[in-house]
Order: sequence, then C-alpha cells, then structure tokens
Amino acid sequence: MSHNDTVPLYQSSQSDIDEIENMMNGGFQSGPGSVLPARPPSPIRPSIPVTSSPFVQSNLPPLAPAQKVTPVPVPPAGSGGSEGGKASGFGSPANTLTEPVWETVKRDVGRIGSNLKLVVFPNPNREDPGKALRDWDLWGPFFFIVFLGLTLSWSASVKKSEVFAVAFALLAAGAVILTLNVLLLGGHIIFFQSLSLLGYCLFPLDVGAVICMLKDNVILKMIVVCVTLAWSSWAAYPFMSAAVNPRRKALALYPVFLMYVSVGFLIIAID
Amino acid sequence: MQAPVENYANPKTCLFHVLFKGAALAFYILSALFFNSFVIIFVVTVLLAALDFWVVKNVSGRILVGLRWWNEINDLGESVWKFESLDQESLARMNKKDSWLFWWTLYLAAAAWFILGVFSLIRFQADYLLVVGVCLSLNVANIIGFTKCKKDAKKQLQQFASQTIASRFQSTVQSAFTLV
Repeated sequence: MSHNDTVPLYQSSQSDIDEIENMMNGGFQSGPGSVLPARPPSPIRPSIPVTSSPFVQSNLPPLAPAQKVTPVPVPPAGSGGSEGGKASGFGSPANTLTEPVWETVKRDVGRIGSNLKLVVFPNPNREDPGKALRDWDLWGPFFFIVFLGLTLSWSASVKKSEVFAVAFALLAAGAVILTLNVLLLGGHIIFFQSLSLLGYCLFPLDVGAVICMLKDNVILKMIVVCVTLAWSSWAAYPFMSAAVNPRRKALALYPVFLMYVSVGFLIIAID
Repeated sequence: MQAPVENYANPKTCLFHVLFKGAALAFYILSALFFNSFVIIFVVTVLLAALDFWVVKNVSGRILVGLRWWNEINDLGESVWKFESLDQESLARMNKKDSWLFWWTLYLAAAAWFILGVFSLIRFQADYLLVVGVCLSLNVANIIGFTKCKKDAKKQLQQFASQTIASRFQSTVQSAFTLV
C-alpha cells in the first residue's frame, strides 16, 4: 500500500492507534513538503477575497516587511522564515493552525508590503509577471481604494458622500470589469490576482491625489496626475500584457489605461 | 458544585469573534441616528466587517473549530483552494459550545446583513446597498470557505479510516498467509 498518492491531512502523532503509527511515519517521509493531498486544480470559485497563505512557493525576493499598517491585517510575508523552516510535511498544518495571532498579523502585514514593492517599484521579478504576484491579497487594494476615495472626498467642497461612493464604486466595478475583459479576450489570468494587481497599481494615483489635495494649483495638479498616471500604467503593463495573446495586448491594456485616466480626471477636477 | 454544562473554552476568542460582527451591524444600524455623513458610515462599517473577516478566518476559525482555508496559486499558474484541519483527536476535543457559537453567529450575521440589504433595496438607497453588499459578501465568503473546509476534513477522515481498515486487513491477510 503506497502512501504516495494520499498524504493524510492532519498530524497523527497523538494518535493512539499503534499499528498505524509505523505506516504513518512511512507516509511522513514520502509526503511532499506541502501539507495537502494532491488535488486537481479546482476551477476558480468566486468569493474568497483574502488569502492567508503560509506557503510561499514563488521566488519572491526576501523583502523587508515594509509599512506597519496595524489594524489592516493581510497575507504573508515574502520572508517566509517560519514556513521555510518546515521540512516535514506534518509540522506545517500544526504550525499554521496553532501559531500565535501576532505571527499571523505580521505575516499578513508583510505581504502587503512585499506585493506593493513587486507591483509598483522596479525590481527584477517584473520580468516574470506570472510568478510575481503569486501571493495575491486584497487587503492592499482595499486600503488603497478606500484611501483614494477618502482623499477625493476630502478635497471636494460639496457632495462629499457622492464623491466617495462614486470613486469607490468606479474603482471596484472597474477592476472587476477589466478582469472580465481580460478573461473574455482569452487571456490567462486568475480573477483575484488581477483584482489585486489593479488595486496595487492605484498606489501612485493615491500619492498623486494626496499631493493634489495639499496644493491646489491647477498646473501642478496636471503635472502630478500625468506623472502618477504614467507610473500606474507602467506598473500594470507587464502583468496585463503577459496574460493575453500578443495580438490582443492593446485590447486588454487600453481599458486599464482608460480607467486610470478617468481617475486622474477625477483628481484634477475635484476642487 | 460542578457546573453541569461545560463553559466556553476560549472566552476571549469567542468575544472577538462576536465583537466585530456585532460592532459592524450595530454601527450600521445606529449610525443613521448620529452621523449625517455617508462616508464615515461606509468606511467604518466596511472596515469593521473586513476586520471581522480576518479575525474569523485566521483566528477564531483556527481556535474555535480547528479549521482553516486559503487560496494559493501553484507553479502552473492555477488557483488552488487549500483546506487545513486538526486531526480527529483534537477535533473531538473541541469545545461544543465554542463551535456552536462560531457557526451560529456566522449564519445569523449573514442573515442580518441580508435583511438589512432588503430594507435598503426597498428604500432605493443604492449607496447603503453597496455597504450591505460588501459586508454580506465578506460574511458569505467565510461561511462558504469554512463549510468547504469542514466537508473536506470529514472526507479526509473517511478516506483515512477506510485506508486504515484496508491496510490492516491486508496486513492481517499477509501475516495469515506467511504463517501457512
């Protein structure tokens, strides 16, 4: 009887069935490093916005966990120290199931930082877009969208609520529609990964909106918005273009650019 | 005097599990009395709902019912849902009250958001519907994730049990044959 095809999910070291322990130990050694039995990759099921993946499989560079966004917890750190040390497959589930809460928070907060660095700043991993945003998370995008909405709402002198609602709905619905656009063009991208990407690419526009909020000069606003717009588009470009057929690259990229342009107009036009 | 019913094993975790859900619902319902600004209502409610999502998924799920789920992208670039559960011994030892509280507050919160959504639909308030929609989807995501995780754990257990029986049978047969 081979244990290679099914690796039991849970630790059995406390099992009091002695005859089984030997078989289990045999299973431990033959088991793969990751926890779970081989499952065929399931079709994408909607609905799970946040991941908390302890197993960093991608070749993320070990990034220093950046900003400490305290109440907003998010998926894992690129420096998977605790996870990387797990040699035996059965140590892992116990560790993530029984790890202290603080560790989870740290891991999640670190993930926002690492994802942000990957997407928005120049780094060697952009050459391989498929691998770069492997640990997608939606906390970063959530925070950026809300922040942009708040900034725009703050800058507006009238109708603050409408501005916020419009900005939030525009960005959220826009991200969903853009993702659907890529999928319908026959591209290969994971739904939540793309949502996560488009959210992270909002970071430059966030910066631009803050600057525009502080200084009310129209010329300055236009320059700042143009610069941040270009930065956002540059950030999104490799990921979106890698996902589709080269002949349809423009079809996939143009709507993204259009959405960022419209956000840019919102930023300039708010007074 | 011994208490006839066992108490909560993790009172602090139970408290947090309920705290954010309750706070989000309460804030949403009561805010109309105090705040005129939709922005504040939206941001605070959605933030509380998001915190609740994180707490349930990462903390109370683990501690109260010993389950965990997440999504990963494997090397082939496909998205894989992963589930984790404690072994049968620990699962059996889980406090009944804890898990009862866990599941029921999950369902009740989702039902409450749904009812609030119906109200805002009736009143044609699209922006409040947005808030309710976001909170409801976060709750439903957790429910679906944990339900799948529980089913997966049961399936694993059944597989394990049947494998165990099969292998024991096999080893018994083999030893019987070697004796012959």
